[in-house]
Amino acid sequence: MSAIQQGRLKATVMDADQIRRSLSRIAHEILERNRGAGDLVLVGVMAKGDHLARRLADSLMELERAPVAVGALDIGKHRDDRHLRVPAHSGQSDVPDIDGKVVVLVDDVIHHGRTARAAMDALMDFGRPRAIQLAVLVDRGHRELPIRPDYIGKNVPTSDSERIEVLVTEEDGIDQAVIVAV
Amino acid sequence: MAIGSRLRHVIESQQFSRPLLEELLDRADEIKRQPHHFSGRLNGQVMAALFYEPSTRTRLSFEAAMLRLGGRTMGTDNAREFSSAAKGETLEDTIRIVSGYADLIVLRHNEEGAAKRAAAVSSVPVINAGDGPGQHPTQALLDLYTIRDELGHIDGVRIAMVGDLANGRTVRSLAYLLSKFRDIRICFVAPPQVAMRDDIKDHLDEHHVQWVESQDLEAVLPQVDVIYQTRIQKERFSDEASYLALKGVYRIDASTMARMKKESIVMHPLPRVDEIAPEVDADPRAAYFRQARNGLYIRMALLDKVLA
Repeated sequence: MSAIQQGRLKATVMDADQIRRSLSRIAHEILERNRGAGDLVLVGVMAKGDHLARRLADSLMELERAPVAVGALDIGKHRDDRHLRVPAHSGQSDVPDIDGKVVVLVDDVIHHGRTARAAMDALMDFGRPRAIQLAVLVDRGHRELPIRPDYIGKNVPTSDSERIEVLVTEEDGIDQAVIVAV
Repeated sequence: MAIGSRLRHVIESQQFSRPLLEELLDRADEIKRQPHHFSGRLNGQVMAALFYEPSTRTRLSFEAAMLRLGGRTMGTDNAREFSSAAKGETLEDTIRIVSGYADLIVLRHNEEGAAKRAAAVSSVPVINAGDGPGQHPTQALLDLYTIRDELGHIDGVRIAMVGDLANGRTVRSLAYLLSKFRDIRICFVAPPQVAMRDDIKDHLDEHHVQWVESQDLEAVLPQVDVIYQTRIQKERFSDEASYLALKGVYRIDASTMARMKKESIVMHPLPRVDEIAPEVDADPRAAYFRQARNGLYIRMALLDKVLA
């Protein structure tokens, strides 16, 4: 990979409209599967999943006309690769009461599945949910753990020399999912 | 995949989280103290400055920032007249082309939302250097940096924004950034014709920032840490008479300064006309030229964060 190509966007896999529609579909699927939003808590994995979780919660509230609890999870301490790299993001978890609730974990991208595993671990520190479901905007394959998302925005086959970046308006000024050369 | 997130585009002030703001301000501090440590950081990288609207200060400070980091710059000053835009090319196509040549695009455009449209099609980062009446996020960053640099803190600051608050994008962008901090109090001092618009007031309410409106600058002076003076923008008025009626209402001169706190500062995004008397320049609390210089450091910090 030449220096000029590094970090460059190779393709846009989802634009703002596609992301909006995917999240809207996922909101409907969550309601269908759980027969409403009664016992639901949405928990986003920082630093992008928390924004997506908040948007899903807004959609659910619009559809069900009742507020849905939403939280944010910092999983830095639970990662299995802390000895390999310093987490780029660190924040403060803010998780509502999850005892006996159905928690939908929300993240931007699933790849090896190690983030999802760490997120489940981190979540257990806050209580004992009745069930955990997983929603992701992009599934790029290459799982290394027996984990399968319940709700998927888009499947995007990728190679190891690529990275998927999800941009969210709240942090990046625009909504977009892109493949970047590494 | 929450790990490895980085700053790609810079579109609007709201997108900056408090930790990211602090990282950028700290980096700007470091650069200000030891600029030579950063002189080769962006060796071999190329910045394209696409300016569809005139600007000298913003453009030169971006170019100086890139050059001082070891990168190179290219650009066009009157993109609207001289580029393919004159032939009818869309902004999107221009961005697609230019992002093939450069590692980063700095865009100044006359239409609100242009930066967002550019970012959606660019293969390299886009930095908004002002999009019409919309936003000017890098100006807001340098304003925020100046407040911290001069006063030593941002939390707890009392600031008066003075002048044309309806048309000034700098005060709007700064208000968004200040809402990320604690215990901020903002006083809007403006004639009713150019009062701060409701969207900003609603945003401040949502983020529990206390704000008040006043038309009495004299009464506000002894209470604030920062006076943020702005120019009444002549070009926004349809007739000369209504401009003249507002011009000079809130002039800052030596007697104004006498009523301000000892530990306070006067800021101004510049250019000024006569809303700050030249006699004020010699007062150590006149921070506006230092503020302009800070634009260089914060833009170096931003380019470094996006490209290095």
